[in-house]
Amino acid sequence: MTRTRPWIAFVGTMALLLTACGGAATGPLASQAPSAGAPTTAATAAATVGPDIPIGLQTPLSAPGAVTLGQQIQRGAELGVEYVNTVMKGVLGGRKLVMYTEDTQGQNETAVSGYRRLVTEKKVVTTFGYVHSSALLAVNEVAKELGVPTISSQASAKDITAKHYDIAFRTHLIDPARANAWLQLIKQKGWKKVAIIAEDTDYGVGLVNETKSQSQAMGLNLDLQVNVVDKTAVDLTPQLLKMKDFKPDLVLLIASAKQRDQITDQAFQIGLHPAVPMLNSNDEPTATNFWDLHPKSGVGLMTIATFSPKQKLSDAAQWAADKYQAKYNEAAIYASLNGFADVVIIAQAIDLAKSTDPKAIIKALETGTFKGWPDTPVTFPRADGVNWHNWSPPVLIIQFTKEKQDWREAPILISAAAAK
Amino acid sequence: MSVSAELLEQYLLTGLMIGVLYIVMALGITFIYSIMKMTNWAMGEFYMIGSFVQYLVVSRFLGPDLWFIAVPVAGLSVFVLGMIVERVLIRPMFERGMEARAEYATVVTIALAILARGIVQIWSGPFERSPGSTMPTFQIGPLPIAGDRVAASIGGLIVLALFWFVVKRTWVGLALRAAAQSRDGVQSAGVDVLRLDQIAFGMGVALAAVAGALLASVYLVYPLNGLITTTKGFEVVILGGLGSIPGAIVGGIAIGLVEALGAALVATNYQNAYGFVLVLIILLLRPRTGLFGERVRTA
Repeated sequence: MTRTRPWIAFVGTMALLLTACGGAATGPLASQAPSAGAPTTAATAAATVGPDIPIGLQTPLSAPGAVTLGQQIQRGAELGVEYVNTVMKGVLGGRKLVMYTEDTQGQNETAVSGYRRLVTEKKVVTTFGYVHSSALLAVNEVAKELGVPTISSQASAKDITAKHYDIAFRTHLIDPARANAWLQLIKQKGWKKVAIIAEDTDYGVGLVNETKSQSQAMGLNLDLQVNVVDKTAVDLTPQLLKMKDFKPDLVLLIASAKQRDQITDQAFQIGLHPAVPMLNSNDEPTATNFWDLHPKSGVGLMTIATFSPKQKLSDAAQWAADKYQAKYNEAAIYASLNGFADVVIIAQAIDLAKSTDPKAIIKALETGTFKGWPDTPVTFPRADGVNWHNWSPPVLIIQFTKEKQDWREAPILISAAAAK
Repeated sequence: MSVSAELLEQYLLTGLMIGVLYIVMALGITFIYSIMKMTNWAMGEFYMIGSFVQYLVVSRFLGPDLWFIAVPVAGLSVFVLGMIVERVLIRPMFERGMEARAEYATVVTIALAILARGIVQIWSGPFERSPGSTMPTFQIGPLPIAGDRVAASIGGLIVLALFWFVVKRTWVGLALRAAAQSRDGVQSAGVDVLRLDQIAFGMGVALAAVAGALLASVYLVYPLNGLITTTKGFEVVILGGLGSIPGAIVGGIAIGLVEALGAALVATNYQNAYGFVLVLIILLLRPRTGLFGERVRTA
């Protein structure tokens, strides 16, 4: 027995160590993912005019979160810190920003504990980078007590801003705008039967409800078949067969990460898509690994997008886009630009507030006008309903029409101004 | 709700296909338990390693057309890895006649699962990958089924047949069956039972790895893809009876069918719950053994 325990202790210790650094990815198959909790090195240069100002990135960097989006946001945020510290010459007269990263894994409890760590241990003045609506909704319940603002970079559920919490801000497409875009497409095409498959999260169920209520308000008289599915389920063939039997004009796919990928393939395998048009509810298909995962099933897929190369970028975002292309040998997508812009907005708010006090930053965000990634101003007014503290980018629907098509060349089916 | 006969046939076929995949996932768990009387909670991670081996061999060397060559490569490499793991981490507890050796060994496999996930995540990142598939879609009755799914099911059946052959028709299989009945009896007949443990552990995890390799293009490759295997595998094993291979076969099919029919006909969002409900019902009816498990005779 005495010789057995060291083995257990060894394996256990190694396992705990690896759990502690879960999400870090530096090996040969990894593509420069982060180490959670470590400050961004580009930002740690010694400051001569005051201490560094900590900000917190909270984004999914490991499963079951939407890791591709998380990585894109993180890359953009790192460029944002570099931009603030070099091009903008820091904030408050030259103080550097330093960014701490916490992996949310897309999980509520992980996100909440990460937020607490950032605020109480790292003393961050603002957090941003959120992707999963449920996780951010959980964080905001704690944030309203601790008082450090959160900026949603890619979480879209209505309640995030509709609850009118002082700390809750968003620079992402809201559910009503997203639902409005696909309902415009449905109206344009004259589709009547729509089968929806949606994950059982705030994101999925929220968009289902928004689609129902807006379609009624628009008088579309749609025949909807709604299939809410367990987010952890990997084989959705039975549900997709049921949808196929419904003979819909459109399949609306409201899921993220692996489940979206599995549904895309499984719908293709049973002959549901592309025989029936399928619309994906978020812009993840613009990520670089889309065609590796869906060499055939991606053709014909329609998807929401929030950025087109035809849009004019701000000078800051153009700097970021050029740097991104040079550093990663691929074009920056919306998630990266939003991650970048959120850091730049935080820096501008700190300068406007002339303080690192979170309350002063909140006031500055509410009253100021900021430079984001598009060539249009960004504001966060105390507006009614979901538009509280919310800035939404324009919303597009694009369609992949051939194999390995670059999303930037995909035809735009709908281009709608964001609901504001 | 009314369901056409054709649609019902499609649901049943889907359930059967999923069920075969569940059998392959569960077989290794029940096999290791039957010999070593310990539960291997790292089974999903060996499944994950098998899927990564498949991905690497197919994407870097063979290409999707020769995917079937990569499957035995995945099985053999994980068989060797399993033998090493057993020798280094598990055997020390079995060598010294400890009172609660199976419990200690089980704890080690939990730590091993976290360790394996962490290592692969550091090495590969958290992203999904697919080895790709060039197989055409097959029409089975009224149901169009992707070629890789059909291949996985057929591969699963071949693995079952091979497994049956090894267990029933070889000397090693005879010894393993004897050890499953009585470890002390086998030992007293002069068989090195620790060596048998090593072979059983290697074979069990190789079965998981083959499942991972067969399903790599169906359910994708990423560091946490073994979690669902562990969950489903144990569901199947508890339903069928711990240590019972016929139980794993019947349990896999039953859970595949219940999930498919439940998700399509009852409510779409409780797909993962239907299998557990079935397990609960069976445990209420046969609390000690599941469907096919046998009560252990003790001296």
